[in-house]
Amino acid sequence: MPTGPTAPPGDIHDLDPQAFLEEVHSFDFWFEAVQGYLSGLTHGHRPNTTEAALSEAERERLISVLCNYCLGETAALEGASGLIVIAPNRLAKIFLSTQVADEGRHLDVFLHRLRDLGVGDPEAEVQRRGSRSLFLFKRRLLELVAGKDWEAAIFAQNVVLEALEFAVFHGHAQDADPVTKEVLQGVIKDERRHIGFGENELGRRLADAPHIRARIGQVKKELDHLILDTLEETVGHIGLPRSDVERLGRAYLESVERLGFV
Amino acid sequence: MLDPEEGDEENTVEAPRRRFILDDTGFDEVPKRYRRFYRKWEGPGDRLAPNEVICPVCKVVIRSTRELRPGDRVYCMPCMSRLVVVRGETGVLEAHVSY
Repeated sequence: MPTGPTAPPGDIHDLDPQAFLEEVHSFDFWFEAVQGYLSGLTHGHRPNTTEAALSEAERERLISVLCNYCLGETAALEGASGLIVIAPNRLAKIFLSTQVADEGRHLDVFLHRLRDLGVGDPEAEVQRRGSRSLFLFKRRLLELVAGKDWEAAIFAQNVVLEALEFAVFHGHAQDADPVTKEVLQGVIKDERRHIGFGENELGRRLADAPHIRARIGQVKKELDHLILDTLEETVGHIGLPRSDVERLGRAYLESVERLGFV
Repeated sequence: MLDPEEGDEENTVEAPRRRFILDDTGFDEVPKRYRRFYRKWEGPGDRLAPNEVICPVCKVVIRSTRELRPGDRVYCMPCMSRLVVVRGETGVLEAHVSY
């Protein structure tokens, strides 16, 4: 058992709230956490995991899904890096620096997966196959970041986009080929931090300044149809039953509802 | 008929909390020193122990060395949430996010 300032008390839940926040937003916490599940992986999966034989139709569908994942991760990478400048405190800036590293890794492993599947120019393929709704979402997210609207940008990125990704990756991992499944499982572990950061950061801001609720509600109205269109399109490519659109949509809406938006 | 004072006493004195020794369950999303406080939810066949609640944000099972009761504070390190334990409508302990 380690000693020093980060040594846990008898029960971790006895930690002082501020000490908890300092610990989980720290670079060391992130580094030790990702070491636990990324060590030994190559491009997000174990090097000896066997590639499943996919039919041409399955391969085509998977390529379309991965193109949308790359597009979503690019949005999050560019959004998170831009948000560091306007983050209101040290803990948020340090956390976002770790999120940037996560998002860069996600984009990298999904692009590698596209190459594994025989795509010669994955970035061009993303431009060609990416969901139009997701392109529009990315553009709006980056406008919010450029406009230095911290609350709206965090809502769009770490609540809306991350909640969608968390739900879709979960749904896809249940039924994916072994290599894609391992890649997704690693990404999901990172996404837990991102959705938690977004919901808690925005929850605290709303508690301190309830007047921002109306502005965020307006942003939600703008983004809802883009994100739900993307969900429907991606679920179709994954090959999940249509009922899963509703189930995954509910999972996405849960976090939004906890913040008081319906 | 019960003596009112005796009845009140019966209602207010709580049994001591049970204590639990936590083993590492292979949960690898937090630094090693914190791993025993969390585990994966295994789906419909899984059951929560009296020292466990599910994080509503990231769906990980949060574990304590003590039996949990309404009003307790717990932390979900995998998603960085602070939560309060409440008794849900079905009588099961739940965790609500405390911003």
